[in-house]
Amino acid sequence: MNEKPQITEHLNSYTLNAFIDGELSPTERQGAEQHLATCHACALRVLSATQLKAATARAGHRFAPPAEALGRFAAQLRSQSQLQTNPLPQTSPQPQTKTPARLYSIRPAAWAALAAAILLTISLLSWRQLHQTNTLAAELLDQHLAILSSAATPQVISSDRHTVKPWFQGRLPFSFNLPDTAALPSDTILKGADLTYLNGQPAALLLFTIHKHQVSIFLMQRSTNSTLSTLSGARAGFTIHTAITPDLRIVAVSDVNPSELDNLLAVLVQIQKPA
Amino acid sequence: MSGSAPWTTDRNSSQVEAYRTMLSETSRCDTFEQLALPLFPSLYNHAFWLTHDQAEAEDLVQETFSKALGAFDSFQPGTNFKAWTIRILRNTFLTTRTGLAASRTVFLEDHPEKLDTPGGSTPEDNLIRLDNLAALHIALEQLPPQLREVLLLCDVDEIKYKDIALILDVPIGTVMSRVSRARRTLRQLLQPQLGESL
Ligand SMILES: [Zn+2]
Repeated sequence: MNEKPQITEHLNSYTLNAFIDGELSPTERQGAEQHLATCHACALRVLSATQLKAATARAGHRFAPPAEALGRFAAQLRSQSQLQTNPLPQTSPQPQTKTPARLYSIRPAAWAALAAAILLTISLLSWRQLHQTNTLAAELLDQHLAILSSAATPQVISSDRHTVKPWFQGRLPFSFNLPDTAALPSDTILKGADLTYLNGQPAALLLFTIHKHQVSIFLMQRSTNSTLSTLSGARAGFTIHTAITPDLRIVAVSDVNPSELDNLLAVLVQIQKPA
Repeated sequence: MSGSAPWTTDRNSSQVEAYRTMLSETSRCDTFEQLALPLFPSLYNHAFWLTHDQAEAEDLVQETFSKALGAFDSFQPGTNFKAWTIRILRNTFLTTRTGLAASRTVFLEDHPEKLDTPGGSTPEDNLIRLDNLAALHIALEQLPPQLREVLLLCDVDEIKYKDIALILDVPIGTVMSRVSRARRTLRQLLQPQLGESL
């Protein structure tokens, strides 16, 4: 970690982990990002490690205290506080005798903190449930936000469909068509493309802009038992819209006007039809 | 155990701010409560992972806060209160019967890990499906306690390597080595459970 990462070499496991944990120095981070921009293998390792980290975080938030434990705990703390306020304060920790849980007067400040703690528990629980039931939407949004927040360049930087399409051949188990620049809705520009994974499946990620708004388009194989059928809606100010063709599922994520997002989706669906 | 370690600044700076302003009003205990109570769910979760028992987990958190309050004068404002408290919790656990047993059976040596570059298994094959929480729970249970602990601190409690090193009383290099080993082992444990989808 102390050494400057060499751009030409693959990221070692320490650097990779420190990268996803946000522990690299700005210089180290820059070096890693430069390598990731050109190394497909390492980019996938980072993607995979990030997903494992997120999954671990979700799984690790497993045990919530029983509601009555909070009350008991607060009362116990309160009583101990009062015991300690009166006699001379001690600078070194002394073994505390366990105070039996009884009814103590809890001052308003303590109640407020307790209420905050309970609210925190509830909001964490509902957040987790939301996450579990709609992991894929969260995953889509995460990937879209990653594109917005990082200056990472796509693996293919091109507005030319004749460059972008062949790049995916052999990297994806399916193929798709891309419209001509002229066929795109007005002020809609193809910026580039990436190979990505969604729900464990390889997917093509196309990066567009519509009036300077970033748009992420995910194309994946349409499978029979897909959980993606109902995936549409708005989340945190972003629109997620899904369209299907006989072979493909196309998901769009953006903060642009939803109707303009649909225009782009319609063009993409149209171009997939056999001539 | 309370120590005066140089805990790095938590992102929970509003709590620390509250601490600073309130300390001047000598309401030390109120301040402690305001810092400590919101941590209860998180510390309980951590305690349950250590003890695997509801009553023991509650006792452990209660004793932790009791000790933390007693040692609160030695806590340095502006440093990571959560990390400071987890360190007390962990040390308290390790002196219990369960903790002593765990520490005897557990711990692997910290070999400096050889820096692996990609090769062998391709990342494409290793990609984890995110939606199998049950499989992850099983894998986390199977993980050696020392490795599980570092992932709980890093991924679940979002504590920085520097503070994890202080909690565990190990050099930061050891933290990095354990994080790396923990994730690789977790992947290996998930492989048979998730089979095709991994
Ligand atoms: Zn590489």
